[in-house]
Amino acid sequence: MEFNVVIGGEAGQGLFSVEIGLTEILSRLNYYFFATKNYMSRIRGGHNFHMIRISDQPVHALSGLKWDMVIALDGETEGRHRPDLRDDGIYLSRELTKEIEKEAQETFQDIRYANTMLVGCVLAVIGASLEKVIEAAENETGQYLKKGFDYALRSNLAGKYPLQPVAGDHCKFDGNQAIALGAILGGCQFMAGYPMTPATSIMHYFSTAALTMPVHFEQAEDEISAINMALGASYAGVRSMVATSGGGFALMQEGVSLAGMTETPVVIVLGQRPGPATGLPTRTEQGELNLVIHAGHGEFPRIIFAPGSIDETIAVARKSFALADRYQIPVFILTDQYFADSIQIVDDDIPKECLSREYPVFDITYKRYTLTEDGISPLTYPGLSDARVRLDSDEHDEDGKITEDLGLRVRMVDKRLKKFAMLARDFMPPTFYGDRNASSVIISWGSNKLIVKEALEKIINEGKSASALHFGQVYPLTAAMVAPYGLEAKRLICVENNAGGQFAGLLKRELGLNVAHSVLKYNGECFTVTELYSELKKLLT
Amino acid sequence: MLKRTDMAWCPGCGNFPIRDVLEQALQELSSPMKDIVFTSGIGQAAKMPHYLDVNYMNGLHGRALPLAVGIKLARPDLTVIAYSGDGCNYGEGGNHFIHTIRRRLDITILTSNNQVYSLTKGQSSPTTDPSVKNDLSPRGNENIPLNPIALAITMGAPFVARCFASERDHMKEIIKEAILFKGTALVDILQPCVTFNKTNTYDWLRERVFKIDKPIEDRYEAIKTAELWGDRIPIGVIYKNDAAHCREIKKIFRERIREEDIENQLDMRCVMMR
Repeated sequence: MEFNVVIGGEAGQGLFSVEIGLTEILSRLNYYFFATKNYMSRIRGGHNFHMIRISDQPVHALSGLKWDMVIALDGETEGRHRPDLRDDGIYLSRELTKEIEKEAQETFQDIRYANTMLVGCVLAVIGASLEKVIEAAENETGQYLKKGFDYALRSNLAGKYPLQPVAGDHCKFDGNQAIALGAILGGCQFMAGYPMTPATSIMHYFSTAALTMPVHFEQAEDEISAINMALGASYAGVRSMVATSGGGFALMQEGVSLAGMTETPVVIVLGQRPGPATGLPTRTEQGELNLVIHAGHGEFPRIIFAPGSIDETIAVARKSFALADRYQIPVFILTDQYFADSIQIVDDDIPKECLSREYPVFDITYKRYTLTEDGISPLTYPGLSDARVRLDSDEHDEDGKITEDLGLRVRMVDKRLKKFAMLARDFMPPTFYGDRNASSVIISWGSNKLIVKEALEKIINEGKSASALHFGQVYPLTAAMVAPYGLEAKRLICVENNAGGQFAGLLKRELGLNVAHSVLKYNGECFTVTELYSELKKLLT
Repeated sequence: MLKRTDMAWCPGCGNFPIRDVLEQALQELSSPMKDIVFTSGIGQAAKMPHYLDVNYMNGLHGRALPLAVGIKLARPDLTVIAYSGDGCNYGEGGNHFIHTIRRRLDITILTSNNQVYSLTKGQSSPTTDPSVKNDLSPRGNENIPLNPIALAITMGAPFVARCFASERDHMKEIIKEAILFKGTALVDILQPCVTFNKTNTYDWLRERVFKIDKPIEDRYEAIKTAELWGDRIPIGVIYKNDAAHCREIKKIFRERIREEDIENQLDMRCVMMR
């Protein structure tokens, strides 16, 4: 059983507050839910809408079903969303929400408490216990929530779509919080950045964490400075990261090249949004895959992750720093606006232990770029001993001094590229769902993981044989990653949010696999389960 | 140590005396050499750290300053010196120059200012004098020269100095003072390029430089002095503000994050969103 509600309004009307308030109480009351939003690139006006799916089972995607309830804080909601309301659904028109606002003004002398009343109203609709809601409420918000309950009761809406709160112990995250927490768990203590949607809230989280923990966030004057600050901090001994979107990353490219050449560990988070250039600043896309694979002039190894669930995101963020240190390479984490801004709950087995860098000490004979068997030189940091730690963006000798010895140049290139051999053995395997014997495999990467999973489950429940394979690591792609699945003999369908079928192209280039059909969506919105299920069903006939 | 001939500068280059003086200055400081980190960009000047017995991160053109910022924030215990040329620190890195000063960190910015791009063979730099002709400005430089001294004082830098590579003792004292100064210290070092700058030569500069014997207290007077150029070029510590505070940097290096901190984060997860 599930309940789907959308609330639409202008930017500035407090829609975000409704989402925050509602999701927080749903979490405290142990309801399973999934919330995401669709917002414009402006601070006031326009039309934004927030979608919340509440269920008696874990949910991690938009259902795409008709709404059970539509709440209008503006005029546009009627035309935009009411057509998608089920026949016996609840419509809180603008007239009705204006009455609620009037009631808030009269009772509490502040029209803004209407938003909390709406939260109370929705909770009443799903049959939440008022007593438990008030207990879960923060400070004095209990009275505003109760007013919302009273409204629902008076309007005969209370308990109309009852749901049982059956989630166990859990944690609630949006995608960016998962990245930020994962990074801190991974030992990251330095972040530099320049605000850019949809990555800004990672920086907000980090700079707030810095108030109480030994971590530091520095707001840079531009993204070129941000990546260089992170590289400087990493060189000096502190695990570091940057987060940005496509346009900011474009500025960071020479820094990526610097990381590759100096073999300085760094983690780079890229929250994708539609491009090119400024694109749709507040929407979602998976358009930067090719960019991130090739970014930074010159040839050097990298790892690119694209986690598809909250726990995968925390795990990936947590391990990225150790991987960056071990191989002395840049490690990328791709996410997107949809995942960054979606709020969901996960079972509460988040690791609490923070990993840490190692600090080996060497003597004065230390050379930063000592040529070794496997291409990885011993790594240390300035000032720990008489060892001098010298990095150079020019081609360099073992001691980090500029060289134009072309024989040494070849040895240094080979040294850096030799790491690929180790990466081929140290990879995060893809996640398989469904029937191993199915003739078709639905391929996805990044935030489509659980949308595909749910669509697949629907298909399988109808008796069809199908399977899915999700890549949380998109680069390097090696034969070993896909060996267990016999993909050469399968019909491959690739789902992604870009126009060029970038991952399908990568599968072909790296693994020689042919994707039979790409399911592409690039209008700035995520897939819903229903929509994807319909598309896939047609293809699987 | 490297031989003179291994240092990739032209015979007679102003960078040689600067290097000799820097080496002495660093040895005369009480910080052990192991705790000194240089950052540099790209250009002839940016090779300086390679010829000193220091830790260094020689990064990309224009980016010596953000590297220095990152290093200092991670390791306030280290002595951080950003060394590059005028093209690097004021041109490609101009945005970083302005904003790094704003950060009020205890770092030293040394610029080898030869008023030309030498490694790329003779183009104008941000400090090139008006009307100077070169291959990309065959009609002569049409731009206003950037005045790093005046700019730094305007931006609030608490220690701003200029010296001349030919005046070694003077230069050594100023560099030492700059490194020891607690706050952002800029030293713009006039360094003749014997190969590509036929205008601002050693002789040209010797005829014009005069020493300021003590820093000018009033900031606006200091800016006026900083703007002197051409017939009279002031060298010395032009402006110094001992009362300026530099940023307190919290220690993070090797500080552990405890499990309870993570527990608190998880409890506060919703608060993060507000």
